[in-house]
Amino acid sequence: MNPASYLIEFKSVSKKFGNFPANDNITFGIRGNTLHSIIGENGAGKSTLMNILSGIYKNDSGNILLNGNEINFDNPLDAISNGIVMLHQHFQLIEDFTVLENVILGEEQVRKSIFLDLNNSKETLSALIAKYKLGLDPDSKVYDLSISEKQKVEILKMLYRNPNIFIFDEPTSVLSPLEVEQFYRIIRTFKTEGKTIILITHKLNEIKELSDYLTVLRKGKVVYETDAENLDIPVISSEIVGSVNIPAVKTARTEPGTEEVSLKVENIVYEKYKIRKLDCFNMEIRRNEVFGVIGIEGNGQSEIVELILGHIHGFAGRISKKPKGISVVPDDRIKKGMIEEFSIGENVLVRSSREKIFSNSVVKTTGEKIISDYDVRCPDTNSPMCDLSGGNQQKAIFGREIELDNEFMIFVHPTRGVDLNATAFIHNIILEQRNAGKAILLITADLDEALTLSDRLGILFRGRFIKELPGDILRNADKKSKGKIIEDIGKYMIGISGE
Amino acid sequence: MSRKFLPNFISVTVSVLLTLIIAGCFLYFIGKDPVMVFSKMFEDVFGTGYGIGQTIFKTTPLILCGCGLALCFHVSAFNIGAEGQINIGAFLMAVIVFYLDDYIGYFAFPVAVLAGFAASALWGFIPAIIKVKREVSEVITTIMLNFVAFALVNYLLMEKVAVKSTVRTPEIINSLFLPKLSEYIPSLQGSSANITFIFALALAVFLYFIIYKTIYGYRMRSVGINPVASKYMGININRIYILTFIIGAGITSFVGINFIFGYKGYYELGFSSNLGFTAIAVSLLAKNNPIGIIFSAFLFGILDFGGLAVNNMVPKEIMLVLQALVILSILITDKLVNKYITKTANA
Repeated sequence: MNPASYLIEFKSVSKKFGNFPANDNITFGIRGNTLHSIIGENGAGKSTLMNILSGIYKNDSGNILLNGNEINFDNPLDAISNGIVMLHQHFQLIEDFTVLENVILGEEQVRKSIFLDLNNSKETLSALIAKYKLGLDPDSKVYDLSISEKQKVEILKMLYRNPNIFIFDEPTSVLSPLEVEQFYRIIRTFKTEGKTIILITHKLNEIKELSDYLTVLRKGKVVYETDAENLDIPVISSEIVGSVNIPAVKTARTEPGTEEVSLKVENIVYEKYKIRKLDCFNMEIRRNEVFGVIGIEGNGQSEIVELILGHIHGFAGRISKKPKGISVVPDDRIKKGMIEEFSIGENVLVRSSREKIFSNSVVKTTGEKIISDYDVRCPDTNSPMCDLSGGNQQKAIFGREIELDNEFMIFVHPTRGVDLNATAFIHNIILEQRNAGKAILLITADLDEALTLSDRLGILFRGRFIKELPGDILRNADKKSKGKIIEDIGKYMIGISGE
Repeated sequence: MSRKFLPNFISVTVSVLLTLIIAGCFLYFIGKDPVMVFSKMFEDVFGTGYGIGQTIFKTTPLILCGCGLALCFHVSAFNIGAEGQINIGAFLMAVIVFYLDDYIGYFAFPVAVLAGFAASALWGFIPAIIKVKREVSEVITTIMLNFVAFALVNYLLMEKVAVKSTVRTPEIINSLFLPKLSEYIPSLQGSSANITFIFALALAVFLYFIIYKTIYGYRMRSVGINPVASKYMGININRIYILTFIIGAGITSFVGINFIFGYKGYYELGFSSNLGFTAIAVSLLAKNNPIGIIFSAFLFGILDFGGLAVNNMVPKEIMLVLQALVILSILITDKLVNKYITKTANA
């Protein structure tokens, strides 16, 4: 095979949803045994294109060549039998099944034509776990696993099918910094084994770290292509957003006008299913400040939110100061953030008690305000929120919560799965709200985000703050000491507290 | 609703035709002439004022009970205990009005209706509170409470209030009977259709407004669609669940008004004849939309009275088959029609 020839080739691939062109005449190629990144904003068409390649969607026109032969998959099984597997943003696991059962589902080995042969599969699986150092127990139930472990199960599902081409859709957005490193290591192993990896992302550092080739999509079109040697981050950033002005957080911090405490919780001990979730947990948040909470997922983040919102009962300790109103942008926008079947306007109105009667015009004007003020892109004011892309759903929920104008605001992973422009936009508004006298709790797994926004930063480990740092030291630090500080934070996050 | 009206209309029409064809084959195989059976049915239902009136009379309780259930279904409470709720409420209604009408005359009517509503609501409160406090599926509790309701009503009726050697309560005084529709539309002469029908229509329109145009309705549906998100949005999901369930269950008691005050003047054992179950289909067929329920209730009302009309020509089981076939074919064609319409709209 000619080394310059492509393993996968997209030729004028187009796909429309309604009247919206998600992929518009896309033409480019992916070389074998390389890591090819596809980068772009939310709704640029990255996921759509990869869903076509993995057999979930069908393209309206154009064709796709694999090894020079045209392919036309009817469903994901066709893709898998051609060696193409995809890791989706939303996990597709059966929580009540074990790791092993999840992995073999659809590929079960059978003895005497009806009995499941788990032992054989288990050996294969254990070998895979050992080989890639995934550190999972094949017999543990999936509901017991953390998000990063669940992702490993998904990766195992891919590996078990012995594919040639891996597609990852924003794999690191749910991982903490250490877990990201681990993930990179696994991906590099794949490459040394001769596999081809396609990575959908909008993290620029990820591209620098991993990519051999890069394709930038914008509004469904290929706008820029390059390879590792000619990688120029500023150029790529401007190609992604389509302008030379890279968005940045511009809002300056004003001096706090008031030191009024908005929320104070003392010595909270909370257990769920006999597991201690909050362990002598103390927190105080004042108006005019952003208190950032960083930590590996599952160390008490969701319990803090539930505690403040009054969703949990039967805890020891006390909440000695409660804010009057609480806005919350929850971690899981689909499960906790909105009613997907309702339009934006309806979601805003059902949240506030401002209007009792929802006339068509009230719903429309309410929706339009959020759409224009928070730059939400949607097919129609009346379309249900499930028709919006993830980033636009996030902007709509964010806008809704800001508009409530509550004294206390909780943001959990506010920019997860959101593009660069929107991230800067959201960060600016969070700081504006801080300056306007709001007390803000920011829970995030994104260190950069925590460092950019926080006045104080708490590092959460096993249900309490193992360390608290002032936010400005981090912002004022020079490059070298910043590296050291970040390294220390990483250590605190896994419970190592040596200075 | 307007953007969904056309596909719904098409799918119902297609499925009614489909049902007639299948049922026609059925009739043909058992040696009946389908054309004759169907034409007799349609003639009796639509051909005479009496037929139309009787169809309206059969439709009224289906609208009322369907609306009550729709409320429950909107908060995702699969209330299959309407049959029990209806009987508890209607029985109490008849008993109270019997004891009070001599003393307070007309006022016995509102008192009885309120008491009936409260009794049915209580019968809904039990599964609702058990669900909220103990997470026991309302499907199980409501069906069990059906048996309890039957036994309780049976006992109280037979032991305490029944007219000797009957299975009914004593009759109410004449002045408490509701006006018949035929008083206003003489051509309906002879039928039992009464002003409860107008009340049912008004209730359906009112509930449509509440469910789709007010914050209460939106919150109700939020709780039904996504309770977790509703909780994060600051909605008291338990309160809304319980309130909606008891109001929905309470509304099913209105079925008793049509029968007691509009028709017989007493409560009779077995008067509801599985209405509480038919109404589940009525509501689901209309996607729990009260305006749609008016139409789906009519469909079942037509089949019900039409069945009586051809009683002596075909076995009565054929009407049950017909009802089931209509539901099945609507469910199937609904998907197909929607798919076809979105396809042509995009093309």
